[in-house]
Amino acid sequence: MQRRLANVNMWTVSAAIIMILLFLPNLTIVTGIFSPANENWAHMKEFVLGSFIKTSLILISTTALLTIFIGLSLAWLIAQYQFPLRKFLKWALILPLSIPPFIGAYTYHGIVNYTGVIQTTLRDRFEMNLNPSFFDIMNLPGAIFIYTMFLYPYVYTITRIFLSQQSASLIESARMLGKGPWRTFFQVVIPISRVSIIGGASLVVLEVLNDYGVVKYFGIQTFTTAIFQTWFGLGDIESSIKLAASLMGFVILILMIEKLLRGRRQYSYSTTKVRPLPLIELKGWKAITATGYGLLILSLGFFIPIIQLIDWMFLTLGTIPMGEFLTYVKNSVTVAGISAFAIIVFALIVGNFSRLVHGKVAKLLPKLTILGYSIPGAVIAVAVVTAFIALDRFLAPLYQMLGVGTTLVLSVSLTMLISAYIIRFFAIGYNSIESGYDKIGTDFRDASRLLGVGLTKTFFKVDVPMLKGAIISGYILVFIDILKEIPLTLILRPFNFDTLSTKAFQYASDEKIMEASQASLLIVGISALAIVIFYKFLEKEPD
Amino acid sequence: MKKALFLVLAFALVVLSACGNDTPSKETKNKETKETTESKEVNLYTARHYDVDDQLYKKFEEETGIKVNVIKGEADELLERIKREGDATEADLFLTADAGRLYRAKEDGLLQAVSSDVLDEQVPANFQDKDQMWYGLTKRARVIVYNKETVKPEDLSTYEALTEDQWKGRVLIRGSENVYNQSLLASFIEINGEEKAKEWAAGLVSNFARDPEGGDRDQAKAIAAGVGDVAIMNTYYFGQMLNSEDPEEVKVAKGLGIFFPNQDTSGTHVNVSGAGVVKAAKNKDNAVKLLEFLSSPESQGTFAEANYEYPVNESVEPTELLKSWGEFKEQDIPLSVLGDNNAKSILIFNEVGWK
Repeated sequence: MQRRLANVNMWTVSAAIIMILLFLPNLTIVTGIFSPANENWAHMKEFVLGSFIKTSLILISTTALLTIFIGLSLAWLIAQYQFPLRKFLKWALILPLSIPPFIGAYTYHGIVNYTGVIQTTLRDRFEMNLNPSFFDIMNLPGAIFIYTMFLYPYVYTITRIFLSQQSASLIESARMLGKGPWRTFFQVVIPISRVSIIGGASLVVLEVLNDYGVVKYFGIQTFTTAIFQTWFGLGDIESSIKLAASLMGFVILILMIEKLLRGRRQYSYSTTKVRPLPLIELKGWKAITATGYGLLILSLGFFIPIIQLIDWMFLTLGTIPMGEFLTYVKNSVTVAGISAFAIIVFALIVGNFSRLVHGKVAKLLPKLTILGYSIPGAVIAVAVVTAFIALDRFLAPLYQMLGVGTTLVLSVSLTMLISAYIIRFFAIGYNSIESGYDKIGTDFRDASRLLGVGLTKTFFKVDVPMLKGAIISGYILVFIDILKEIPLTLILRPFNFDTLSTKAFQYASDEKIMEASQASLLIVGISALAIVIFYKFLEKEPD
Repeated sequence: MKKALFLVLAFALVVLSACGNDTPSKETKNKETKETTESKEVNLYTARHYDVDDQLYKKFEEETGIKVNVIKGEADELLERIKREGDATEADLFLTADAGRLYRAKEDGLLQAVSSDVLDEQVPANFQDKDQMWYGLTKRARVIVYNKETVKPEDLSTYEALTEDQWKGRVLIRGSENVYNQSLLASFIEINGEEKAKEWAAGLVSNFARDPEGGDRDQAKAIAAGVGDVAIMNTYYFGQMLNSEDPEEVKVAKGLGIFFPNQDTSGTHVNVSGAGVVKAAKNKDNAVKLLEFLSSPESQGTFAEANYEYPVNESVEPTELLKSWGEFKEQDIPLSVLGDNNAKSILIFNEVGWK
């Protein structure tokens, strides 16, 4: 009995520590909401805030709906049916995630603009001069397209894992009861995968809310614009943090509504054997449609921009210094690898805690740690810098004892950057792990515990094996996300530390998208490699 | 399944060791040099992201033996980092591509005055801060480019004239979040007063060919596409397009003429890249040396050539391309007003609905 208690304590205590550490930097932002409103705030409210908020709402709701539509339909096809290229599409459909949205935006604009390949070909080959506004993607629908094409994999990955591993018995029952594919989809698949759908879509929404690159380039004014306008333009970081805090408040509200919507119903494994769903073979035009649909999405989200980037790479080969690129690759992979590993470990601990405790408040706590994902990275960066400088000052006596000549030690090392990644991307890892925990429920753990197995041993022997899919997908999502991350890497890196994403950004921000192609392609290549390694070789299917 | 976990772990370990061999050892090396020979490095926070800058830093290191450590970022974010780091900051020199940001750094008390005969000789007085807190290094002009087929240079005169009715639906310019536009309006606030500046902004908005979108290059392309006839853009973007690897971009640029406005009145708007020594700098002397090096005749040539900017050092000639555009009269205002009026221009942009 005593040992068990000790175990519980170890888990809860470490989970609590992790959550506090993740939440602490956000605290400086949350408190910003109480700072008094000044004249800048009044100005923003009078002239722009209303229309910015409206634009943001349209942007996130439309993007969320479209990513759910695409992500879920693809997940359903892959999980339920057999058709040509299915195995390839299964992992390839995650690839669009490897393209940073701002690079995607620059690339698509590069394709369709006046000097782009489409208009040039029409002009030179067919002597056609079409109305240029026809090709204009730098507007709200264009931004929705960009975000949808490069972010739908969040929904796809999370729901596919859920559908293919967990839902077999329910869907099979539906089939046996004579429900057609459509009714099965709407009456069984959507309700049971609600958690994963919402989990994936909320990542999309948060990503759209915190992104600034795409909307800035397209000239679309969103809530994020307001945050940066008050900070950069008006030099008023207090108002800007107040705005960010309001955004966090909005996100907390959404999270609470989501928890309520999720309600009491739980769908967890009911048998000990986690079987994959037997696939139904599609034939004829149905098979062609399924393959065609998958390829269409993959082309829009991956092949088309990649081909353009490769073309640019050849155009600019030799015009930019490439000598250091190996170092950039190493730097990128290092920080992404370490941070993703830490995030997954933390997410497992916190997720387990969330299962162990009872009560609504305790259940909501872990959710709060994902707040960092809702606001622009640059704002998080300020909070992280502040926290680390305070920490360094606190540790200064220790540094002196050790004979280090400076006060700033941690905040000029990679520790600060990696911690910032963990704070920011914990949401991604946690969402994956949480939906994994949701799926396995508590029955098996309870059985194991009843048999007298300790909590920690149960965790490793029972939970972790069943969470395998969630761990893998979580790790990959986080790894790729960090690989392409920009604002944090830019501001929080130590001296002389360049990564592929800072390099890509360096050129793109200077309107040199062609020169940015080399670094962008390397980001994509490494991400693709990670996806292939994990999915092709690890997630073996019996079929 | 265990294998899966094992592989994840192994991957992380490989990654860890790959870096473990290198990054920390580099750090310790840095620290060692810091302790033994305090003055053999200089730490730079820069908002300029050009490859040519790195080459110059390397050259500086070769010539002086002083290593340049660099963090590249966005100006405002770097400023905030310096501010939060306070006295403990590692930054010695802050370099950015906008006079407004230099002004803000000075106002926030982040910079210190440095006096150097070399700098005074190399950087003209009007491109220095009056308290010698920062020094300009390169200049860029914000000019009008026009469609050679539909617009005659005689039709153009001033920025202000672009608000006249004949330009309705023909003017292209990027969004107001862009600092070059903010500085442009800030200069008008100084020259013409806030009311007139606001009238200008409102007038220009009503002549827009479309809602602002994209960057400076995109405005030039929109002229070629027939969306509008004139665009306001920075000189170096025009230079980059003329020398682009993409033949289509070159074609676009060749169809455009470049016009330096306000030659008979207040002069063409000019902004600078510049740098100031951080107040809490630990390697102040080295920072000054780097400033002197960057404004020296030989570096100034490299700066200008690679990025189609104008050197501030008057002993250095601009490149052939820039010379072919001719000499021009610049706005005669202290550059610090660009920073001083920055917030006012944001408010005006919002009020007149310049997206």
